[in-house]
Amino acid sequence: MFACIYIPDFLVEAIVRVEPVLREHAVAVLDGKPPLARVIALNEKARQLGMEMGMTKLQAAVFAGTSSAADNVACRSALAVLHQRSTEQETSTHAALLDIAHAFTPHVEDTASDTLLLDLTGLERLYGAPVKMAGDLAARVAAVGIDANIAIAANPDAAMHAARGFNGTTIIPAGSEAQRLGVLPLQVLLDAFEIPLQKAGGKASRQAKEKRREQLLDTLERWGVRDFRTLALLPEHALASRLGETGAQLRRLARGESTRTLVLCAPLTQFDEATELESPVETIESLSFVLNRLLEQLCARLEARALATHELRLRLQLERRIADEETGTVDELRSSHSHDVGYNPIFERTFRLPVSMRDSKVFLKLLQLELAAHPPGAPVVKVWITAEPGPPRSAQRGLFLPVTPEPERLEITLARISAVVGERRAGIARLLDSHRRGSFFIDRFTVTASDVPGAASPTMSDINNHPVLALRIIRPAHPLQVHLSAGRPDTLVSGKQAERTKIQGKVLWSAGPWRLSGDWWTENLKQDVATGEPLGSWDREEWDIALATLNSDSEGKSKTDVALYRIYRDVASGNWFADAIYD
Amino acid sequence: MSSPAALPTMSVRSPVSNRRAHIESSLGERLSSTLLFRERTIPLTVPIGITSLDVLTGGLPRGALSEIAGAISSGRTGVMLSALSGATCRQEVCALVDASDSFDPASAATAGVNLERLLWVQCSQTANVKRNAVGMKPYPGFAFGSALEQVLKVTDLLLQSGGFGMVVLDLGDVPVESARRVPLTSWFRFRRAVEPTATVLLLVEQEPCAKTCASLVLQLQPEASFVSNTASISDLVQLGLQTKSYNVGHLNQQAYLSRTNAVGHAALVREIHFRAEVLRSWTRRKPPSAVTNFELRAAL
Repeated sequence: MFACIYIPDFLVEAIVRVEPVLREHAVAVLDGKPPLARVIALNEKARQLGMEMGMTKLQAAVFAGTSSAADNVACRSALAVLHQRSTEQETSTHAALLDIAHAFTPHVEDTASDTLLLDLTGLERLYGAPVKMAGDLAARVAAVGIDANIAIAANPDAAMHAARGFNGTTIIPAGSEAQRLGVLPLQVLLDAFEIPLQKAGGKASRQAKEKRREQLLDTLERWGVRDFRTLALLPEHALASRLGETGAQLRRLARGESTRTLVLCAPLTQFDEATELESPVETIESLSFVLNRLLEQLCARLEARALATHELRLRLQLERRIADEETGTVDELRSSHSHDVGYNPIFERTFRLPVSMRDSKVFLKLLQLELAAHPPGAPVVKVWITAEPGPPRSAQRGLFLPVTPEPERLEITLARISAVVGERRAGIARLLDSHRRGSFFIDRFTVTASDVPGAASPTMSDINNHPVLALRIIRPAHPLQVHLSAGRPDTLVSGKQAERTKIQGKVLWSAGPWRLSGDWWTENLKQDVATGEPLGSWDREEWDIALATLNSDSEGKSKTDVALYRIYRDVASGNWFADAIYD
Repeated sequence: MSSPAALPTMSVRSPVSNRRAHIESSLGERLSSTLLFRERTIPLTVPIGITSLDVLTGGLPRGALSEIAGAISSGRTGVMLSALSGATCRQEVCALVDASDSFDPASAATAGVNLERLLWVQCSQTANVKRNAVGMKPYPGFAFGSALEQVLKVTDLLLQSGGFGMVVLDLGDVPVESARRVPLTSWFRFRRAVEPTATVLLLVEQEPCAKTCASLVLQLQPEASFVSNTASISDLVQLGLQTKSYNVGHLNQQAYLSRTNAVGHAALVREIHFRAEVLRSWTRRKPPSAVTNFELRAAL
């Protein structure tokens, strides 16, 4: 048993899939550069209006009104909408169809861009009767925004002819192919029959085969053969003697008797959605509508294949003009062609997610936050979104495990926090294996599954018995002027560069110095702006001091406090700094 | 003759009970359980990790705002890290909103904090200092304006996100004048946000500023005496004990110098004793014992 998914008016459907509002209107697809642009595809409503294939853009504009119908929403219901052909959207639509088919069965033939054949042998136990299978298939195709015909028959060619000839869902029981297909016009047979030949040849051979097809059609019409039934009743030998093997093959197809095996195709490994905008989009709000639609399609395709994504890549083609220097695109930074007239800069962003996700709303929010933080700098004319597929996240929940933030909500929260405090200022602190003070870096924050604490994690009893005196780091280090007495710090005065709270007073006790140095084998390539300390090698003498400071309490009365500081002297420069408080 | 026990008894209701029954019957369904005594719900608590403090306070309440206040070197950070250590050891995800970028990952790791489960948010240190028309710097309290704004925004985001076992707002280095400028409505909003959750919201500051919005307020200060140990290289040649005493205002301290064989980093103190006082507690208005002592040891 075989099924066929056929998209009538495929070029129009590729456009309408991204803009569902056009489904209720007459749509004509143009191809070619002006003034040679011609109509290459129409939907049924456009045909009813009187539009025809091959019309020039000027002729089609009559049906679209005096101005572009895309700008006049109120007139759309009565007038046709002219849309430029988009190969990216056609590719995305075809890919979505393949995803649906491969989710249903692994045996899929990619017959044409608008036609797929599925081998349903042995799937009755899984999906049910053919009627139910056809219904499920139709529902899945509709879920990705495609309007297609579904047909099920005993052989693939009969299914294909039924899908091409009948609208909606068609089931042909075994043995009744000739009867059901008999009413179909000969056009359907010849359109399907030509397809394998067209794929193999180039432009010249396509023209030759098109000519041959017209000759065959003309010959058969002169014989009075206009449908499947009439052709099926012709004697086989007589037909073969006049038309050759082609004629015999056509007769078998008309009778629904052909048998062949499918040429299987592999499932796609990349998920792309793209759209070309009719007019450049300048605001993020307007772009969000486009992104939302593309993300919904992408997530529907992932869901059809039971997959999720851990990496999302956004590419925006910007309008041809010089972008703002402050918000330069990636390509502008890379190349020196940003000022070329013929160069369309590409704005690219990649999102690596901590866990696999499949929520279009979360993706949209992340894209919006990223675009708000890093605007493209120019109007957008084309959008691509690519998702790297991966297995969906599986988490074993437990009744007694502590509650953790949901990964999707956490990702959005982290993006919002980054918008508030800046990039790389929120995350996990990871210590570096270095003796330099303050050796750590901020890593991306992810919530890992709860594990049993290992040996490095102290138990609660350890913590109760040994609470630790902690340090508060002063960032950047506070410059000091230190007066020594017998080689030991005696009084401190805040340096001139100090901007915040002054650290000054009498040193009550001191311990030190403790000499620390390292990285002496590296060159001093640059210096810390705040401290002047070279970021290569470092050499310091540390002291712990107890400082008596005069402060005011809440009632305004002066009082003396004792604070414990860690100060150090940079040996290379001789400057003193305070870099930590014992608290 | 019947025994007194066989005589029928009549229950005499008190006038108060009669009056209460009359009110309840007349109000009927309009006000349900009007005069019923409602038991105060005792929220769950998590241990701070320091035994004496846990005995004093009962732990940090979940779904409530708690404050730890104290001056510089009063033990606030040690207590904060102890609480974070306990939370991360329980596999809870925690967040630290650092207003002045003063968090030390090394100290936290030594204290037992699992850094993998701690989200550290560094708020901007850039002081938004503006000069007035005559070119004089304004009051320093404005210096942390932008950082405090970030703290409040980030805290809102974290509480809305949910799922965190503990959220700590570290305003320890923020001047008191700036911290007082945070409107009370912000603390009230935070308290309402954590009430239906199991999140512990902990505020570390120099002075209590959340007022009645806090369910627990702990005031810390150093004890009058502490044990110190200097292990400087130059002092190694000195043997035996040597004492020094200093009078600093009303505070008397004594420092002890002793020989040690374990020379790590030059450390002024081995441990410091602190005094903790409960200013407000969720358990009752006036706890019987509001003061305790605890110590923090330096990590060598």
